[in-house]
Formats: sequence, structure tokens, C-alpha cells
Amino acid sequence: MKSSILAAGLVAATCATPAMADKLDDIISAGVLRCAVVLDFPPMGSRDADNNPIGFDVDYCNDLAAALGVTAEVVETTFPERIPSLMSGSVDVVVGSTSDTLERAKTVGMTMPYYAFENAVVVSEKSGITDEAGMQGKTVGATAGTYEAIWLEEKVKEWGAGEFRPYQNQADVFLALSQGQLDATVSTMEVAQANVKTGNFPGISIVAKADMVPDYVALVTLREEYGLLNFMNLFINQQVRTGRYAELYTKWVGEGEPANLTIPGVYR
Amino acid sequence: MFNYNFRWNQALNSLPQMLEGALVTMEIAILSMVIGIIVAILLTVCRISGYRSLSAIATTWVEIARNTPALFQIYMVHFGLGSFGIHLSPYISLLLGIAFNNAGYLAENYRGALKAIPDTQTRSARSLGMSAPQAFVHVVMPQMLRISFLPMTNQMVWAILMTSLGAVVAMNTDLYGVTSALNALTFRTFELFAIAAVIFYVITKVITLSARLLAARMFRY
Amino acid sequence: MFETALTYNDLMFLAKGAGMTLMVTAISVFIGTVLGIIFGVFRYQVGALWAMPLTFVLDVFRSIPLLIQLVLANAFITTVLKIKVSGLTVACGVLSLYTAAYCAEIVRGGIEAVPLPLRRAARSLGMTWGQDMTSVVMPLATRVALPSWIGLALGVMKDSALVYIVQVVELLKSTQILITRLQEPLFLLMICGLFYFVISFPIARFGGYLEKRWSND
Repeated sequence: MKSSILAAGLVAATCATPAMADKLDDIISAGVLRCAVVLDFPPMGSRDADNNPIGFDVDYCNDLAAALGVTAEVVETTFPERIPSLMSGSVDVVVGSTSDTLERAKTVGMTMPYYAFENAVVVSEKSGITDEAGMQGKTVGATAGTYEAIWLEEKVKEWGAGEFRPYQNQADVFLALSQGQLDATVSTMEVAQANVKTGNFPGISIVAKADMVPDYVALVTLREEYGLLNFMNLFINQQVRTGRYAELYTKWVGEGEPANLTIPGVYR
Repeated sequence: MFNYNFRWNQALNSLPQMLEGALVTMEIAILSMVIGIIVAILLTVCRISGYRSLSAIATTWVEIARNTPALFQIYMVHFGLGSFGIHLSPYISLLLGIAFNNAGYLAENYRGALKAIPDTQTRSARSLGMSAPQAFVHVVMPQMLRISFLPMTNQMVWAILMTSLGAVVAMNTDLYGVTSALNALTFRTFELFAIAAVIFYVITKVITLSARLLAARMFRY
Repeated sequence: MFETALTYNDLMFLAKGAGMTLMVTAISVFIGTVLGIIFGVFRYQVGALWAMPLTFVLDVFRSIPLLIQLVLANAFITTVLKIKVSGLTVACGVLSLYTAAYCAEIVRGGIEAVPLPLRRAARSLGMTWGQDMTSVVMPLATRVALPSWIGLALGVMKDSALVYIVQVVELLKSTQILITRLQEPLFLLMICGLFYFVISFPIARFGGYLEKRWSND
């Protein structure tokens, strides 16, 4: 008798569905928004002299938290670890320059684009490569799991010659390029310019714009969290509408027109 | 039962790719072990040679290999040597990194094994007219290898496990590299890595078993 | 030659990472050793056949790369079971079981090294199993097992470099963070390697000394 009550209690405890609160409610009631941000990706994410996170994505996370009325907590992540950290529940959203590929949308939920990158061909000066076609048959590399990496790997397969190397983070890619271990890489224009400008990587230069569709990046959260996705879509719209988007662009990327987030001829 | 949709199909579709990766993993493990054994014997000879400088080099090698993480050693082979203009492919970097580690641990095992071989054997070999190298190669070395056989199989297992560290040097053709590349595309982390774990387990068992069979043949007397 | 942009703050940042490495190691080695002793004694006591399931499970921990164990455990606990735990907990849990798997072997080896007649003598003097274990087997087995145990503990410290994969910022990860910012890979990696070496080398030497001293009598 006693044991059956216990068993019933156990069943009740395990089956009891939590109240219908969704992630949006959870974040607001917890008072903390945990964002996964990639911090080796200047100007989108990097660290200042005190090793505190800074960058476009960090500010974007702070803005999102402010809009929700909560405090932001930036959780550093690497490119390959972005989605796993979301799936494992250690972060609420990924503000990590995540390209909105269809393959990813099978697993996670994407907002509309909040930024769009142009990609640049960056080469080791020793390699003598001057344009995109020059990469054919050479040793090329990019950060594992990124839009550029997937594109480059496809290219290498298409050429049937050369070698593709996926490094674990952006810094290792530029380090390998600077040492001459790689002949070329494709990387987002903003990131390439910021890294070349630091002068930390001698012997590398940007030679051309890569001929690929702009890399539209989205905020990411769990697929079933429509409440939060809806909120974030409106938030992105408001960022552009209020001029905050342009402001952040000037602050982190530089003078000029921020990337257009709409595509002519189609909704969303 | 679980609030998670397993998609084994999607992961199992990549099985052929992963098995190809498994072959590369076995290849690296075996090659690194062969190089490791040869270098470890050389290091052991250096340490007992009586030349102070040779012995110091060998001891430094052994202590660095044994007292720093393997991940660090592999990273240093690629980017450390890279900054001196020595460029090694991910495959070679990983192979040499593991071989460096193997050699260090094995050399220490050999030193322990040497203690178990009485000095009198070398002396009798020498008095039979063998030169010092002959005495080492024909008398001491076979016994040394036999005594340290168990630690050697353990090191072999570690060599297989260490191949998983190749990702830091952009290695993408071994089992771990293939798995994490697939994971970056599809994010079926649990399914993919569960399959990888099973394959790793099988490889480890196959290699230890064949090492035992090999030893039974080689050390029979 | 030794010009560097490394500041005091950065050194503190590294020290924090080193502290994390030591903490993860200490927790895992402690829990792993306790579990390892329980498993080792159990295996010895019930015999090879009955202990087979346990032996198999422990063997799995020694046959799969730690990196994969960590990724898999993390994915299983947090993504499949949807249990909210920190990366640190996952890291310590996996490393503890990993330690236990090796430790059980060491413990079993230690117990087996105690001559049976000695234990029979102890029992016939009226000692209980518990007394025999604590007063006869433990002191003798410890002598055999301690050097290998020291090697294991140091191994766990070096292997803890892999917990970066579950978002724990330990020494190697904090070094990589600094490399990203300062772009002085070689210099920073040397510091990192040196740290591991400084901790590991004296302890390893001490283990070697114990082994030598205790095997001579």
C-alpha cells in the first residue's frame, strides 16, 4: 500500500508538466538573458584589455536584454559549439553571427537576419594568389562549422585539387595563414579587415571580395520557442527602425552604409 | 520517454564516412606507435649511453612528454614548429605529436624494464665476444620489450584515444574529425558521437587483441 | 626579445584558469579514487565472472576518447534528458568516472599483490574481513598502488585540458583566449606548458622516488 502511494507519487512527479511558461517567460522571470557569443571574431565579438567581452554581438545581446528588461550574461562559445550550447540549455539565445542555413533550421529556430556579411579572400602574401580563382588547387582553410568553411570545402571538392583545413577558431586560421601553413582563406570582410588592421598577423592581405551570396546571419534559439522568436524578430526590426543598427555599425565596423537586411522580390 | 527526437537515420547515413575516418585513425595510431617504439629505444640507448649531453636530451624529451598535456604537445608541433617556418600538414602534425608522446612514455617504461634485467647478462654477452651494441640488440632489447609489453599495449590504446585531439590542428579525415565536421553541419551531436564512441570501442578492442596475438607469436620461446 | 603585451590582469586571468584546472582535478581525483576503491574491492571480492558487467562498463571508459565521453555525456544529460547542469558538473562527473575506471584496476592490482597466506594468517588470528582489509591489506596494497595512483592523478590533471569542450574555462582554454587577443601564441603556450610541467614534474619525481624506495625492501 505504502509503496503504491510512493510509486504513484513518483509517476506524478515525473509526468507533471511544468506550467505553460515558455522560454520568453522563463527569461523574464529569471531576470537574466544568457547569450552565446563568439569572442574570437572581431569586430563582432572579442575581448578588451581586461579580458571582458566587447563587440557588435555583445552590444546586440545587451540591447536585447535591455528590451526584455533583464540583465545580459555573455557566455563565450566557439563556432562549432554555438548550437550545441543552445541545445544543451546552457544559453538562451545565440548572438553569434550564425548563418541561417536550411540544414541548421532543421534543428534550431532562426529569426530574420540581423546582419549580413560580405566575404573576402584573404591570402598569405607568400602564396602569390591575387583573386578568388587563384585559390584553386591551393591549401585553404576556415573556421570549422562556419558558412565560409562549408562553402570553401564544397569548392575544394568541386576543384578536385588542393586541400581544405577546418581550424577550431578564427585566430588559429589567421595564425596558420600568417605562418604560411595556409595559402588562403575566405572570411567575412569585417573580420578580415579588423584582423589585418591589428598588425598581429604579418604577411597576410585581403585581395578580393569572394563571389558568394551575402552571408545573412540570424539570432538563434530553440525551434519551438515561437514566443521568443517572435519577440526577437520585432526587436531586430526595431533596432533598424530606431537607428541603433546603424549606430552599432559605425561603432564597431566603421563609416559607411550598414549592410541591407532585406532581399528584393521576396517576403521575410 | 525522452523529450528529444532521435534522428538515428540521419546519423547512420554518414556511417560510411565515419568508417573511412576510423581507418585513418587506426593508421595514425599504428604509425605513431611504430615511430614511438623506435624513438623510445633510441632515447633509452641515449640515457644509458653514459654521454651526459645525449642523456640530458633524452631525459628532457621524456619529462616534457610525460608532464604536459598531449593536446598541448600536438598544438606545439603544428603552430610551434610553424612559427619557425616548418610547415607540417594536419596529418603529419597529429602523427608526430602522438609519436612524441608515445616515445616519452615508452622510454620511461623501457628504463623500468631494464632494471629487471641483470647486469651480469650484458657482461657475459660481452665476454662471449659481442660488442656493446650487439649485446644490447641481441640480449637486452628483446627482454626489455617483453617485460614492458603490457605498458606498451596500454600506450597503444592511448595512441588511439589521442587521435581525437587532431581537431586542434585542423585534422578532418580521422574519426573524430569526420564526426565533428558532420556535427557542424547537422547538429545531431548525441547520435553522431554515440556512433563514434562505439567505433572507437571496437577499434580499441581489435587493436589490443591483435597486439596480444602478435605478442604470443613473437615472445614464444 | 621578451617584449610582451601581457599585463598583470592577463596573468591573473591565467591564474584563474590554472585554479580551475586544479579544482577540476582535485574533485575528480577525490571522487574517482573513492569510487575506484569501491569498484576495485568489489571486483576482487566477487570474482571475475560476477564482476563482468562492472568490468565491461569500466573498460568502456578506458576505450573511448575522453573528448568523446565529455561531448556525449554533455549531449545526453543536457540535450536528451534536458537536465540543467553546468559544464563544470558534467566535466567533474565524467572525469571522476574516468578516474575510477583506472583506479579500480590499480586497487585490484594492489590487493592481488598482497600474499594470500598472509591474509589467511590474519583471518586465523581471529581478524574479521574488515579488520583484515584495513589492517593488513590496505597498508601493503597502498605501497604497491601509490606510485601508479600518483601517475593516474597527474594523468587526470593533464587530461582535464579537454574539459574546454563543455565550456569550462581552464588553463589551456584561458591561454587560447589570451592568444586570440594578444597574438603571441608561442610565448603564451610556453607559459601554459611550463605551468603543467611545474606542477606535474616534482610530483612525478616524488612518485618515482617512492616506487624506488618501497621496492627495495
